Amino acid sequence: MNMFLRKLNTFLRNSQCSSFIKYRAFSSKVSETGSERDPAPLFFNEEIQNLLYTLTRVDLKKVFRPQRDGQQMEPPTYKFLTTRELEKAMKSAKRKAETRLQMPPVVKKRSEVTKIISTDPALESYDRCNYVFTDITYGISNYDRLIVVREPNGVLRHAKWDERHCLNQIYFPMPGREIIAPRMFEQEFLEDLLNRQEYDFVLNRACLQFEPNDPKYIEISEKVYSIVNEKQDFEILRSTRHYGPMLFYLAWNKNIDNLLLENIQTEKIEDAVLFTKLYHKINPTASSVDIAHEGDDIQYLREFVKSEAANKGKLEAAILSYKELEKERQSVAKGIQKAHGIE
Amino acid sequence: MPRMPLHPAVGTGKINPFAKKVIRFVRYGCTNRPFYHIVVMEAYKGQRQPPTEQLGSYDSRVNVHNERLVAFNFERIRYWLGRGAQPTKSVAELLGLAGFFPIHPRSYMTAWRHRRLNDKQAAQAKDAEEESKEASQTS
Repeated sequence: MNMFLRKLNTFLRNSQCSSFIKYRAFSSKVSETGSERDPAPLFFNEEIQNLLYTLTRVDLKKVFRPQRDGQQMEPPTYKFLTTRELEKAMKSAKRKAETRLQMPPVVKKRSEVTKIISTDPALESYDRCNYVFTDITYGISNYDRLIVVREPNGVLRHAKWDERHCLNQIYFPMPGREIIAPRMFEQEFLEDLLNRQEYDFVLNRACLQFEPNDPKYIEISEKVYSIVNEKQDFEILRSTRHYGPMLFYLAWNKNIDNLLLENIQTEKIEDAVLFTKLYHKINPTASSVDIAHEGDDIQYLREFVKSEAANKGKLEAAILSYKELEKERQSVAKGIQKAHGIE
Repeated sequence: MPRMPLHPAVGTGKINPFAKKVIRFVRYGCTNRPFYHIVVMEAYKGQRQPPTEQLGSYDSRVNVHNERLVAFNFERIRYWLGRGAQPTKSVAELLGLAGFFPIHPRSYMTAWRHRRLNDKQAAQAKDAEEESKEASQTS
C-alpha cells in the first residue's frame, strides 16, 4: 500500500509536469521556455554521446592530474610490471577515466512549480509564517521527495525549487553542496575566475552546487562555454568532462567558427570532420547536410565552411595555409627519403 | 552525559506490544531554544524515556526564510497508525496542516481567534488614528 501511494505521488507529480508542457506547446504567446527545443533527447542519443566522447580525446595524464580540490595528495608509487600487467593496469585506468569523464547532462530549464494542493480560507492567519513539511521516508530520491508548504493564507502547495534545494540540503546534506550558493558564482568573482582561466574549477563547482536543469547552472555553464569559445581556450577544457557539453552547446547555437579554426590551426582535421558530423546530427535541417564526404577531409571541410561558417574568410585562409604546410612537409619528406636513397 | 540522551532514531528495539502507543513531541534543544522530535512511544512512559521509534522532527523556531520546518517519516507514521498508535493533539494538528489528516478543529479555532484579534487590533488602530486627527484639528 505504501509503495502504491508513493508511486501515486510520483505519478501525480509527473502528470502535473507533463500537463505544463502540453499547455506551453499550445499557447500562442512566445514564452522563454516554450519556444526552446529540448536538448535532452539529442544529448542522450547514443551516437551523439559516442561522438562527444571521441572528441573529448581522453588524455590519461590530464584526467589523473593532481587536482586542487582540498583532498590530501598521496605520493606516487612506482612499480615494476610485466607487459601483461601493464596492459591490465592501463585498461583499468581507462575505465576509471571513463567514469571520471562522465558528462554533466545538457537539459532544458525546469519550469516553476505552481501546483496548489488545497486552499482553505478558514485557516487564514493560523500563523504568520509558512509551515514546511518534508517527507523523510527512507529511500526516496531528492528529486521525488514530497515537500509541501502551508502558507499563512491557508494555501497548501508544493514547495518551489529553491525551497526544495534548501530542505533537501538540510535533511539529506550532500557533501560539498551548500545551502546558500557560494559567492564565486556572483558576477564580479565569476568574472575574475574566468579571467584567470579557471574554467574547469568553476564548472565542477557549479555541477556540485546546482542541479543540471537549474537555470542558474545553465546560465553559468553557458557563460563559461561562450568565454572559452571567445578566447579559443579549448585546450584547457579538452579531456575534461565539460568538453562534450561545450561542443554540444556550440553546435546547438551554431557558433562553430572558432572551434573549427582552432582545430585546423592545431592540425586536428579529424576532430573538425567529426565535429561537422555532430553539427549535422544536432541540426538536421542545416543546408550543409547534403555535402558528401568523398575521402578528402580538406575538400569536405572547405565546402562545409562555405555553407555554414559565419566568418568564411578566416577559415578559408586557415585551410589554405594548412594545405600549403602539408605540401611543404610532403616535399621535405620526399627530399629526406631521396637523401637516404630509399626511393 | 547530556541531560537528555539521544536515542537511535530506529528505536531501542524494546517494544511492549500490549501497551497503548502515542505519537508525540519530545522536547530536545536547550533553554529558550526548543526543538522537538516526533516519536512513537508507549503512552504510560515519560517524555525522557527511550522512545520506540523516531518519526520526524519539528523546529518551532521561525527561520530566516520565515518558515517552521517539520519533517515526517510518513511511511512509518502510516505503519504506527495502522498498529493503533494515537497522535497527540499538537502532532495531529501538524499532520492536518500537512494535508495528511483532515484539518484539526483546534487549528480552525486558532485561526479564527487570530483573525478576530487582528480585526480588533486593526479597528483599535483606526480609532486611535481618527482621534489623533481630531485632536490636531481642534488644537
